[in-house]
Amino acid sequence: MLSWAVLTALVLVVLIPLSWAVLTSLKSEASVMAYPPTFFPTEPSLSAYKAVFRNETFGSDLFNSVLYAVGAVALAVVLSAPAGYAASRFEFRGKRTVMLLILSTSMIPGVALLVPTYFLLDALGLLNNAAVIIVVQAARLVPQTVWFMQNFVDAVPRELDEATQVDGANHWQTFTKVILPLVRPGIAASAVIGMVTTWNDYITVAAFAPEVAHRTLQVALVNQVFDSIGITWSYVMAYAVVSSLPIVAIFVLAQRWFISGLTAGAVKG
Amino acid sequence: MQADPRPSGFWALFAWFAPAVAVLLAVTLYPTGVVLWLSVHRTRLYEVVEGVGLANYVSVITSPAFLELSLNSLLYVFGALAVVLPLGLASALALQNIARGAAYVRTLLLLPWTLSMGVVGCFWLWLLNPSYGPMSYLMRSLGMEPGLMLGDPSLALVLVILVTAWWSFPYVMVMMSASLQSIPAELYEAIDIDGGGLRARLRHAVWPHIAPTLGSTALALGILYLTLITLILVLTGGGPLGSTATWSFEVFSSAFRSVDLSPSSVISVVVLAVNLFLGYLYTRLTGRVSG
Repeated sequence: MLSWAVLTALVLVVLIPLSWAVLTSLKSEASVMAYPPTFFPTEPSLSAYKAVFRNETFGSDLFNSVLYAVGAVALAVVLSAPAGYAASRFEFRGKRTVMLLILSTSMIPGVALLVPTYFLLDALGLLNNAAVIIVVQAARLVPQTVWFMQNFVDAVPRELDEATQVDGANHWQTFTKVILPLVRPGIAASAVIGMVTTWNDYITVAAFAPEVAHRTLQVALVNQVFDSIGITWSYVMAYAVVSSLPIVAIFVLAQRWFISGLTAGAVKG
Repeated sequence: MQADPRPSGFWALFAWFAPAVAVLLAVTLYPTGVVLWLSVHRTRLYEVVEGVGLANYVSVITSPAFLELSLNSLLYVFGALAVVLPLGLASALALQNIARGAAYVRTLLLLPWTLSMGVVGCFWLWLLNPSYGPMSYLMRSLGMEPGLMLGDPSLALVLVILVTAWWSFPYVMVMMSASLQSIPAELYEAIDIDGGGLRARLRHAVWPHIAPTLGSTALALGILYLTLITLILVLTGGGPLGSTATWSFEVFSSAFRSVDLSPSSVISVVVLAVNLFLGYLYTRLTGRVSG
């Protein structure tokens, strides 16, 4: 059947290169350079992984990756959720302008802001600062998160707010006690997408926090490739695998939120 | 008592939006102003020397280097789109058609998209290495001369496009799957009653329904490709002989090594303008910013 033929071909195109890379990480340094190349390692070994974990900056690189991803997502949600609630529940003049302002900032590409942001951070002495990286990454997530929150709050029936407010609650209490628990799926979708985006970033950290103490696993990985003297491919592949595992695990476990985060807003109907 | 849709006054409203807006002003809008300002000045490293009006724009845009960057950017964006759109659409249609196992197949096919550009770049740099890489071995076994692969100026951009496509086709697949799933079943039934076959289904139900999503997906990816740096950085570093350097790549690579920031600023403004235009089309297609 045609559908299965197409899918089988694509699965092979995806899996063969991936497996080749992963299997390389299990080869010895000598067999990596063997020609003709072999798909399966003749004597599988974990020495490349041991070398990755023994790397003296591995701990701080991992810590920074986790810190930036969790920090940026948490900050983005805290900043965006009230705006999403207000956009859904309040009617006022200028609302369209405010929402346009928030959403249109998502069209300003990070690369166009590399030069001026570096210029500003340099002038303010704020390069190599973890808090700055978290704020910059969070700002990239804010427009999408506001938009998500608005849509998810829209889906909560207004009667719930009214019932709460008859009991004497104000808007803030309604928002924190009633709405926030109900929009957890929206928060989950924003969080998963935001986590993947921030974890996988190279440019922001490489440009604004290039110091070894502030870099992430992704920056360390790319730097190793540039450091071409004495590059060991089994080691680089092991490093790539280790630096991807957390995010691949989140993807597999939270696939539903990942997909709803990807498709939100882009698909009509 | 009814829930009051109007909070009490300007400051009460302001408080709800202020945190999000303040951060966007500081991190996005203010630097946007700064890059426009830098683009009309001459700088020495990170010191502004003098205002030069539009002279920077004239000298950058008329240079042969800019022409090559523009050409590479266009080839890269359209080349990658030409590969991913059919692949993504085909995989979405195929997934729609299989009865069992679709969820597992989709998970496998989505894997490349979850990996960072740095990781994807490392993987393919290894797979495409000319001396003992599997790709050059495969080509030799088929009687072809692999040459320098990513080191070959006439081949490098094509290979970067193919790697980009490998990494990003799953995005098209997810978008098109979502769009296909939103086609109402009655539409198919109506066509069946009228005696239409698969062709009629594709032409009258599937295509008109998915075309807008295909368009918005193409725009979203166009924006992504136009601003993509890391994959090019890892695979080729913009080389050989500048054959894979795009506008965005040039912004990144020149910003941190040039004496004068203004040429990078001018190209940043170009990327910004093209992006805003594509983003505008995107919002028109998706109705996303309707307020």
